Amino acid sequence: MASYLGEFELMLLLAVIHLGDEAYGVPISRELEKHRGRGASVGSVYAALERLEGKGLIVSNLGDPTPERGGKAKRYFRVTREGLRQIRETKQVLTKLWQQIPSLKTDVG
Amino acid sequence: MHRREPPPQATWMLEHLTTGACDEALAGDLLEEFRAGRSQSWYWRQVLGACVVSWSKSLVLRGPAVAFALLWATLAPAWKILVDGIVDAPVFTSLWNFLGPIWLPFALVGWIALHATFLWAGILAYLLVLTLLGRKIRRRESRQAFWLAPVLFAPFAGLTFVLANLYWYSVPGLSQARLAGTSLGQVADFGVLSDLIRLPYFIAVLGALWMAIPQSKRIVGHLPGLFAEGADAEARTLRLQSPADPDVVRRFFAFMVIAGLINALIAGFLLCRLPAVHDPTLGSLLLRAIVYVVLGGAAGAMGAYIYWQNPASPFREDPPLPFPLFVLVCVSGWVWVPAMVIFAEALSAGAALVAMIGAFLLAVGLRSATYFVLAPSSSKGHQGNPALFEEAMYQAPADLAGYAIALCLYAAVVAIAVQWTLSAAALLALGAALFGWKRTIPRGGAFFSAHEYQRTALRVVLVAVPAVLVTAWALLDGVAYRNHVLAGLDTSASASTPAPKAEEKDAPKKATAYGVNGYQSVILWPYPEKKEIVAPRLQQASFLAPGSTKPAVIRFTGAYWYMQPPDASPGPKAHQAHGSPLKVNIQSSDAIPLVMDAHQTLPDEVALTRCREVDVDIDNFDNKEGPISVALLLGDGPNTSHRTLYLGQEPIVSTQPQRFWLKAAPVSETLRFAVPARGELQRFSEITVLILSGTEHRWIAPRIAVRQFQLIPR
Repeated sequence: MASYLGEFELMLLLAVIHLGDEAYGVPISRELEKHRGRGASVGSVYAALERLEGKGLIVSNLGDPTPERGGKAKRYFRVTREGLRQIRETKQVLTKLWQQIPSLKTDVG
Repeated sequence: MHRREPPPQATWMLEHLTTGACDEALAGDLLEEFRAGRSQSWYWRQVLGACVVSWSKSLVLRGPAVAFALLWATLAPAWKILVDGIVDAPVFTSLWNFLGPIWLPFALVGWIALHATFLWAGILAYLLVLTLLGRKIRRRESRQAFWLAPVLFAPFAGLTFVLANLYWYSVPGLSQARLAGTSLGQVADFGVLSDLIRLPYFIAVLGALWMAIPQSKRIVGHLPGLFAEGADAEARTLRLQSPADPDVVRRFFAFMVIAGLINALIAGFLLCRLPAVHDPTLGSLLLRAIVYVVLGGAAGAMGAYIYWQNPASPFREDPPLPFPLFVLVCVSGWVWVPAMVIFAEALSAGAALVAMIGAFLLAVGLRSATYFVLAPSSSKGHQGNPALFEEAMYQAPADLAGYAIALCLYAAVVAIAVQWTLSAAALLALGAALFGWKRTIPRGGAFFSAHEYQRTALRVVLVAVPAVLVTAWALLDGVAYRNHVLAGLDTSASASTPAPKAEEKDAPKKATAYGVNGYQSVILWPYPEKKEIVAPRLQQASFLAPGSTKPAVIRFTGAYWYMQPPDASPGPKAHQAHGSPLKVNIQSSDAIPLVMDAHQTLPDEVALTRCREVDVDIDNFDNKEGPISVALLLGDGPNTSHRTLYLGQEPIVSTQPQRFWLKAAPVSETLRFAVPARGELQRFSEITVLILSGTEHRWIAPRIAVRQFQLIPR
């Protein structure tokens, strides 16, 4: 049975794809804040990212520690092939659903 | 320009109150954002949010453990009733009486052990269920759960007890609450009292299981390899190949061993006492020896654990050896500490022998166990050009340890000769430890944790048996020594003392003994008189006659008092005996110097205006180096308000460092004290001599006797 992504998870995956090699906690949170219009706790962002990593949709690796971060390493995230597949599937499902609602389609467009 | 720093309390919370694997990245992100201009309130919000998210995630992952802890804690009221019944049993009352003043630590240990049984049963049941369900249990964490449960239980039970007592009448229904009479009723009771009883059990079981339960696969994904099949052994191997500097590891190992040793020594000196009775049975000695051996090992383990888990310890995060294994290895040395302490208190050379054995066993065990951690350095003899080496004449390798061992041996012999028992013990222990470390040939092959545990546990058992026997021997030796010290002292000195009260007459003879290792205080009457002889009446006419210069000589016939501060007098249960301070050794059992007074009652009062000087003739037979002084007090007797007049303090010249020598016979001296014409007193009828010694005499009372007083007329 295919599992579908939640709203927050989908946003996170899209943010990670958008940020590319710079996808770590701070930019991901900023990206979400920019598009959602409200901030997200960095802790909850990490919790969701861990969940996605547990599902095998993203992978992470630690970067080098930097003095600006008190000697703490950045944790970079990257979407896996499975993650990309699920994003596409979710997009298709959502698109089909939206297309079935003509009155809202024009507003959204 | 200063770099902005976030609130340290919030950072501490982030580091210590969150769970999970991305704390570092999260902390770094928050710091980066904060330095980019975010406010302190934003930082606090993020930290609190991270804590909530982290804990809620952990709770969800450990839902079964939470449910089981709740379920198991439900049984707690019934268990408490059962434990209360056990504790109140007559056998325990007898045991507490047997243990005397040291009953409290044993009662605490017993109490924790009883409750730990319940907690351990719960943990075991949970792990069993997990195993039956096919979940993989990590052995190390499971072991942690078993010792963590009682450690958590004790403080939370104490806290619950205190809070319940504080709010006993404030919480509705608490003061009237009673537990049901049947076990089923107690389990089914969810009243406030039952829930209070359950709380520490719930916290202890949950806290322990938190460590033990298998992690979910999602978390496993972050730590590849650690939780795979057979990863336990692999992890153990990896841990043993710790990249830490071997010198640092070696230094910290030594530090942990010494920390444990010091703790065991403290426990030994404070808690290991001789039996109160003069002729203890072999059974009681063996029982006491077992308790002391366990005490030595436990105290050592506790001392090492404190430093092992210290935040500054490199072993806390990445132990090169599992702590339980390290403790098992070191216990084979620490268990000898009580025997050594008891021997040392009896000034026996056995202390040095026992210290040597213990240190050797400890070093051998430690060397074997840490061989896999501390890779053997290549032999220096093979370094350099091999061809050149072949041609060169043989040169003995410079073995500094060998010189050190030899020095320790020679110094220890000297220390034994001059009766510096503890110094000799320390030297021999050092030499034996060096010898054991250097000469032990570690086993080859791979390190298998389970096998190593079995070997070490077997070694502990094999060592514990002789340790118990030697401790029992030390106790016997100590009792014999104490009896020897008091030999010749007649405990039935009642003839020369005021008649005891009726209830004191009926009291058993050992009631004069106070404490478990001797007497609270001692009154030494002159030997061989059977009763106090009042000094001959002064020849008042000649002494008081104006113009008379003939001194009045008063032979000392009073008693010597020995006690410890803050006591100012021996007390009603003082041990009374006959003897001379020149012939007996009266010792302190705890290194608190003894106070020694000599008291002389005069038959008549002497006017202060008639006496110009009091000369005290003393005999010094003290062969312990260290200055001793004498202070003199005049008193107006017990019939009045007992005022005293202090006449000053005079050093005993023959005890001064430059005048000290080992004496074969007592040396006489006269100390002179001027008497003022006016003072607090008009007349005096008592003379008190205070013998004041320094820390050199902290173990033994000065061997100074008062021969006579001379009152010089004014």
